[in-house]
Amino acid sequence: MGRVATLPGVPPLIACLALLVAWEFAARVLGISGLPPASDALAQLPAILSDPESLLNIAASLKRMAIGFALALVAAVPIGLMMGRSRTVAAFFNPLLMSIYPVPKAALMPIIMLWLGIGDASKTLVIFLGVSLPVIYHSYQGSRAVEEKILWSAAAMGMRAPARLFRIVLPAALPEILVGCRTGLVLALITMVTSEMIARQAGVGNILFNALDMAQYDTVYAMIVVIGVLGYVLDVAFERLRLHLVGWAAPTHDIVVGTT
Amino acid sequence: MSVRLAAMRDVLVGLIPIALILGLWQALTASGVAPPSLLPPPGAVFARLIQQLGSLTYLQHAATTLLRLFAGFGIAVALGVALAVAAIGSKAVESALMPLVRVLAPVPKVALYPAFILTLGFEDASKIALVVADAVFPILLATYQGMSAVEPKLAWVAQAVGVTRARCVFTVVLPAALPSVLTGCRIGLVISCIVVFLAEMITSTDGLGHLLVRAARNFQTVDMFVPLITISLLGLLLNAGFNALRKRLLAGFPEEK
Repeated sequence: MGRVATLPGVPPLIACLALLVAWEFAARVLGISGLPPASDALAQLPAILSDPESLLNIAASLKRMAIGFALALVAAVPIGLMMGRSRTVAAFFNPLLMSIYPVPKAALMPIIMLWLGIGDASKTLVIFLGVSLPVIYHSYQGSRAVEEKILWSAAAMGMRAPARLFRIVLPAALPEILVGCRTGLVLALITMVTSEMIARQAGVGNILFNALDMAQYDTVYAMIVVIGVLGYVLDVAFERLRLHLVGWAAPTHDIVVGTT
Repeated sequence: MSVRLAAMRDVLVGLIPIALILGLWQALTASGVAPPSLLPPPGAVFARLIQQLGSLTYLQHAATTLLRLFAGFGIAVALGVALAVAAIGSKAVESALMPLVRVLAPVPKVALYPAFILTLGFEDASKIALVVADAVFPILLATYQGMSAVEPKLAWVAQAVGVTRARCVFTVVLPAALPSVLTGCRIGLVISCIVVFLAEMITSTDGLGHLLVRAARNFQTVDMFVPLITISLLGLLLNAGFNALRKRLLAGFPEEK
């Protein structure tokens, strides 16, 4: 047992089981109202996951999230890298970013919906906004920490500034950028769910809150489990990717937490 | 002197994009490209903001939001720091707690909000619970990581002069980890600000988030911008206040970059 418990992946599994047991206990023994037993909620999972409509909804949510995330990377990484290398660029963007930072991005939904409608465009835009900030911030920190001498040597060998940014600063800052991406991933998921709760039209958040309105409490809890598993799986998958890309760099933190 | 000049230049450069956005906003509304029902002119929004900040009802809504924010944040700080201290103090707690944190930290907490509504009701408790759920993880993790990074020699010295291990955690390791505890708290504070607003947007009958949703349902665009600006001003103010507090608490610690 002692050896099994130290295998990678086993402690989180035990943690999940413990959570389920605690949930079952709270519902059955303590009888907390509004909390169906875990077994009842989990019994809904096959129905949800075999219903083509809800699968389409989940796929549509993930598609929006992927597009918003990808667009944010394309825009945010170059801005962050340039901020780290030039004081003027940093001074240009910093106050603006600081004042946008505490605005809840999903709260922009009602306003953006007026302009772009309740379809994919506004939800993708909100995800884009939510992901951009942490990615810019971490790219900025990463590129600021790049050793000057490497850049001087490259310049002395005739490499031009744009090439230096992408061939030296980008790889050197990659570990830090990926920290930002991981925060961004968590954020993308949060913004995705929230935007769908506000614009109830399709998606995971829509299923969740419609079930709440229709008092299908088992489905509510089953959807919470689905979203939670989604978050955890995406995080683990990203960690794999990170190890593959920057296995040479020491991991900065085991777990990264983001802001909405 | 040249340092101050450069700093002033930085501030001026930083004002450019903000001025550009305000200018673009004004130009869009003044030229009629964007009808006022979709995008009200900035002048109207700021006038309304100032008017609202003088109105008692509006301030009551803001106070409700702040109350929930501080209640949630306060519980999150107490819980996060206590759990981190317990994890550092005892291997058993650590091996039970950290896998749970590993599983729960990347879960989007808004998805838990329906569960909180069902178990805790529509009142303040469910919103405060959501704030706690979202803010506790950065505080817990920052405290834990900060405390594990404390120079072990400090604890050895304390133990060598006869301080018990448990006391040493509180009197040596926790104070030495204060900078990262405060970093975690700052992240948690901004998160609390955002989450409390979202929770109020989803279901509420009062608070700033509710005002935004109410304005959106009635297509009062000006009133949609006002709570948004208020919450980001609150966020900036709280952040500035927290930084000032941090400076006082961390007097004597080496400067961070």
